[in-house]
Amino acid sequence: MFETARFESERRLTGSVVVALGLSAFAAMMILLAPSILDEFDVAALTETFSPALVEAMQLDAIATIEGFMALELYWFGWLLVLGTYVAYSAASTIAGDIDDGTMDTVLAAPVSRWQILFEKFLSLLTPILVVNVVVLVVVYVGTRLVSEPIAAADLVAVHALSVPYLLFWGAYGVLVSALAASRLVAEGIAAGTLLATFLVKTIADGTDIEWLGLLSPTQYYDPVTILTASEYDYSGAGILLVATIILLLASGVTFARRDIQ
Amino acid sequence: MPVINTDNLTKYYGDVRGIEGLSFAVEEGEVFGFLGPNGAGKTTAIRTLMGFQSPTAGSATVLGADITDTASFRKTRGKIGYLPSEPGFNETVTGRRLLEYHGSLRGDVRSDEILELFEPPLDRKVGEYSRGNQQMLAIVMAFMHDPDLVIMDEPTSGLDPLKQERFLEFIRAEQDRGKSFFFSSHILSEVRKVCDRIGIIRDGKLVELEDVASLIDRSGKAVRANIADSVTAAEFEIDGAHDVTVSGGSAAVGDAADGETVGEALTVSFTYTGAYEPLLRHLLEYELLDLAIEEAPLEDVFMRFYGDHDAEAAVERVESEHEDDAEPEPTDV
Repeated sequence: MFETARFESERRLTGSVVVALGLSAFAAMMILLAPSILDEFDVAALTETFSPALVEAMQLDAIATIEGFMALELYWFGWLLVLGTYVAYSAASTIAGDIDDGTMDTVLAAPVSRWQILFEKFLSLLTPILVVNVVVLVVVYVGTRLVSEPIAAADLVAVHALSVPYLLFWGAYGVLVSALAASRLVAEGIAAGTLLATFLVKTIADGTDIEWLGLLSPTQYYDPVTILTASEYDYSGAGILLVATIILLLASGVTFARRDIQ
Repeated sequence: MPVINTDNLTKYYGDVRGIEGLSFAVEEGEVFGFLGPNGAGKTTAIRTLMGFQSPTAGSATVLGADITDTASFRKTRGKIGYLPSEPGFNETVTGRRLLEYHGSLRGDVRSDEILELFEPPLDRKVGEYSRGNQQMLAIVMAFMHDPDLVIMDEPTSGLDPLKQERFLEFIRAEQDRGKSFFFSSHILSEVRKVCDRIGIIRDGKLVELEDVASLIDRSGKAVRANIADSVTAAEFEIDGAHDVTVSGGSAAVGDAADGETVGEALTVSFTYTGAYEPLLRHLLEYELLDLAIEEAPLEDVFMRFYGDHDAEAAVERVESEHEDDAEPEPTDV
């Protein structure tokens, strides 16, 4: 039990560290820039320049504080989009990729069930999710204190912890696409494409007649800006994402168990 | 109880036929050769037997377990080894780590022993492996849990001739230990060395199922006689002779140069399926310069099932003949 999860996790470690370092460097740069930008920032001018709808969609009014600045620059972009895409993309290559390069055959020749293989491959996605979150949490915590713009520790922990269900959701979605798709490239494209599409839909639909469409977007249920600027934690949103994750995993299991490996 | 039993096993990919109506049994302790050219359905049959894909129709049991009964067949796979023709590996890990992983999935009781025969460089990353090293790693993975039955799809592909020979030797030794084998191949010379029975598959259907020995018996002898007299093909249309051809052989040219034989020294070749006595009596009516009676190449038998129009089979035949040339096996006369 968990041999596959361990094996796959080891293989994901290098990539996870690279992504963690990349996002850490990005975070450090934002933290270094933050004090000077915040000093010169004129929210009133900003809201006058852009339409109120756009300001609301981009949550530009929140950008004037270190919390809002980091939430928008690092988490909104770096977590919802970049890390989300990385996880979805990695997940999408699991099943379809192993079938493509023939490694699935040697695994399935062993006395293991397909459900178990699929679940353990999904579990291995916790490696990038946890490594990146822990590393960047430490960098942001220490960094903001070094530039004397500290962010409340509880809010920081929450913004990282509540990103886990969001990222797991994309992991499960990627696995489902992978179990369905004919090839690795198709799976990766669909997974990353869906994430980008839902991200844009949520951003564009906010405050318009089609705002309900945003409910379908996972970004609806994890809002780093609210967590950091208002200290409001959306636990039910996290719950919805976890339930959706389980449903996606069950669908993946049924699909993979019935699928012909060619 | 047969280790593999298929009943009308059929697999279509949409409208494309993979295999159709395969019915055969592989007995315990047997090495069963599964012969056919590329694209005949060998791999489809194996992937269906391994449970990688479900049959469109028909059924099969492997070691007594129904291949479509997921739960019971999962347990049974612990007693099956699988050796693919082109194994896929996670290329970023070392051979050692990969063996450790697969050992943890299926159990490892004898990888050390097998690694003495087949030595892939375990500390290198699999991505750097040559084709032969990959195949050796696959062999270790197929046998490490000491399975009762090993299902092999063109298992010697990628191995150098020395390792191929070592592998066939290993199969014979494993058979002596009571293990059973399903051995898919398009190379007759290797199949005849280890297999007890062979099934020949063509266009997804089983066209022949026989003992290797009786197949060779039925294929007859290849007779080649250098004769100093003038001779016509018609003179050799005796009972049991087939496909008689007469040609000016190289021996004839040499003799003519020496001036010993005047006239045409000719080579008569044919396949012969009768008893020796009438053949020899007939031959003695001529002045024999040279005579060779050999076991007919199994390729010729094989060709009967494919026909000369099958370009692909012809290619396989050339490949196989090349194999045979290295090791002629003349029969005692």
